[in-house]
Amino acid sequence: MQTSSTQTRPIQARPWAILSRSPLAGVFVALAVIFTLSALISPYFLTPYNLSVIARGLAFVGLITIAQSMLMVLGELDLSLGVVGGLCGVISGILMVRLGFEPYSAMLLAILLGACLGLINGLLVTVLRLHSLVLTIGTAGIFGGANLVLTRGVAITGIPKDVHYLGRGDLLGVPVPFIIMLVALAVATFVMLKTPFGRYMYAIGNNQAGARMLGIKVDKVRLLVFTAAGAIAALAGVLMVARLGTAQPSIGETWVLAPIAASVIGGVATTGGIGSPIGAIFGAGIIAIIENIIVLFGVSPYWQGIVSGAIVVLAISFDAVSRRYLRRDA
Amino acid sequence: MAYLETRGLGRDFPGVTALDGVDLTIELGRTHILAGENGAGKSTLVKILTGTDRPSRGQVLIDGRDPAEDASLYKNVAYVPQELNLFPQMSVAENLFMPFDRTGHGGLLVNRNALVEEARTYLERFGIEADPRDLVANISVSDQQLLQIARACTNAAMKVLILDEPTSSLTRVEVDRVFKVIRGLLDRDHAIVFISHKMDEVFAIGDDYTVLRNGEKIESGRIADIAEADLIRAMSGRDLSFDEHFRPKGPVTDTIMQVRGLSGARFHDVDFELRRGEILGFAGLVGAGRSEVMQTIFGFLKAKAGSVTVDGKPWTLNDTSASVDGGMLYLSEERKHHGIFPLLSLRENIGISILSLTKGAFGISGGREREAVQKIIDDYGIRTSGMGKRISQLSGGNQQKAIIGRAMATRPRVLIFDEPTKGIDIRTKTEIYRIMKGLAEEGVGVILVSSELDELKKCASRIVTMHHGRITGEFDTTNTSNETLVGAIFGTEAKAHAN
Repeated sequence: MQTSSTQTRPIQARPWAILSRSPLAGVFVALAVIFTLSALISPYFLTPYNLSVIARGLAFVGLITIAQSMLMVLGELDLSLGVVGGLCGVISGILMVRLGFEPYSAMLLAILLGACLGLINGLLVTVLRLHSLVLTIGTAGIFGGANLVLTRGVAITGIPKDVHYLGRGDLLGVPVPFIIMLVALAVATFVMLKTPFGRYMYAIGNNQAGARMLGIKVDKVRLLVFTAAGAIAALAGVLMVARLGTAQPSIGETWVLAPIAASVIGGVATTGGIGSPIGAIFGAGIIAIIENIIVLFGVSPYWQGIVSGAIVVLAISFDAVSRRYLRRDA
Repeated sequence: MAYLETRGLGRDFPGVTALDGVDLTIELGRTHILAGENGAGKSTLVKILTGTDRPSRGQVLIDGRDPAEDASLYKNVAYVPQELNLFPQMSVAENLFMPFDRTGHGGLLVNRNALVEEARTYLERFGIEADPRDLVANISVSDQQLLQIARACTNAAMKVLILDEPTSSLTRVEVDRVFKVIRGLLDRDHAIVFISHKMDEVFAIGDDYTVLRNGEKIESGRIADIAEADLIRAMSGRDLSFDEHFRPKGPVTDTIMQVRGLSGARFHDVDFELRRGEILGFAGLVGAGRSEVMQTIFGFLKAKAGSVTVDGKPWTLNDTSASVDGGMLYLSEERKHHGIFPLLSLRENIGISILSLTKGAFGISGGREREAVQKIIDDYGIRTSGMGKRISQLSGGNQQKAIIGRAMATRPRVLIFDEPTKGIDIRTKTEIYRIMKGLAEEGVGVILVSSELDELKKCASRIVTMHHGRITGEFDTTNTSNETLVGAIFGTEAKAHAN
């Protein structure tokens, strides 16, 4: 949301009180601190190769995070996003390899399919008034099952070389999927913060009945966001196929919880109405750096889940406590 | 004797002094009126008295001791908030004794029968008609209001009971029930602190009073020694002619809106017309179906039968978006649930209604929006330290002004006000009445739904009465007696037409 504020009487009890009014500042500071600490404790952290590994990893989870944070602002949660990414990635592979589609059209079709899957979730949520969190547990099962039926659990190999660039390539030293993620972030941020549609999203997340009272087409907005989220998730899936060079049925399995945690760290409330995709990406950045540093330090893989989970719990606890302290007098 | 006292109490927030040098003395066996406009500091004072906030300066004394040293003293002060704050899907008895350990029902298991039995004595004492086993969601609003008071009284240590506008959603008969309970409590050697904007109630129930204005104590004394006009002057700091009329002047001309045979949730076969140049009042008990009628015309609730025309053209029902596009707005009495977006700033809350004005080729123009919102803040006298402030941090009156200001900015053809002055101080009320009058005189169709007969008589040109989901009469305000109106509201008279 807006980070500037026009105070007629800018009396501030504490110099850092500005943090409380600028929701992004807190998570940005946390990201900067973690980045600096990582650079200090590991000589490998700042190497171009390592940074590009982080950026490339962040690109995929980042896309899902953008999609999830859009839905969370609306007051919804979609647990099927990762599975949608996986299914659409696999289907792009089937289209290219088994059915001989032109690779880019195959990717585009898979993204359209992702939009349709998102639309199906949205229709069930709006028309039948279902709870999105519960519903998408169910649809995630269906989409994931479809993935296994189509692949029988076996990766589809032989993805045409021309699309590999989208997943593996670099542009001016920056991983291409990372750039794609940044473009998606820019578009999502512009729509959410600068257009009437975005304002409607926040209004609905704050107070759905109130939004309807103002004549906002609540269900239309919700449907569109579910659809867009599905398309973005599919984009992540097809880019992952391009990166791996094979369509793995397991794509997306790890994209469920991290994006939600990243959004919360970034200031998006699970109850809706507050936060922005930029904050969520900062949150995803924090998680990505932590996971990277755990690897650099050679923490046993058996311990990695515990360590990264504990750090997420610490991060959101710190955020909640500091926010309460800063906003108490606001 | 003084049981609860404050001495030189002050509370500072960044940029605002909410309380300054407040002395308050509450005596047992008496009802103390805490009077003041919205934003005068009443809520802050109550928060400090109940221990949910700490003063920046000064002292609180409960029974002669400072609760800052012994927090258990706060148990002697109970607070009943204005908003209903119950667990709707639990029983009356469970609500009454929650949390169970505080009321002696703790332990590993909750004995439902014991709860129900003990609840009966409370329900009887407080005149609550519901059964202890009823779900709170299914009992009447006045029973819920009384249940909140009863719940506060299950605290055995309670000596001072603070009631924040306990009657704001009640009808007159129900108010009488609440007052009976309050008087009954006083016999038991307790003190009541009563917060209300309704002057008749203040004078009916009050013994002592303290007036706050802008965080300072203006005066205090015995209710018997002060006249209503003087009390109002003390609260507002200026003279307000409180029996001024706000009925629109000028001719009443053509029909703006015609409603025929409209039926929906909890109302049947409603016919009426709204004319240009008038304020049309809707009177009735809470639950008579007035809000449902308005919400159905607006498209928020589903219509079962009937039709509406506006300026002679058929009106689309069941679609709030079409209603707003067509120039109709409905301002709900449920400010919290239907009005504000609590996590967004004042600017965004107002800006949401003027996006067509602030939208440019590169999205919403921040500059244009700030300018337009600032104009609304100035025009409607919204008191805030800045437009970036969260709307939920503004006082109720200022939230209401923001909602009205944002509605007016859309230049509506028909504006429906549903209890627009609920929980609003007298000065802001007067401002709202002036706005409605001005709108009606400009030719906007104005409907006022209100449970306060005084308010309707003050503002409405015509009054339609409803009872149990049906229209029971339609009256010309100036030549109708209160008795006739009350009769129609209670459905005791045959359908009357006085035109």
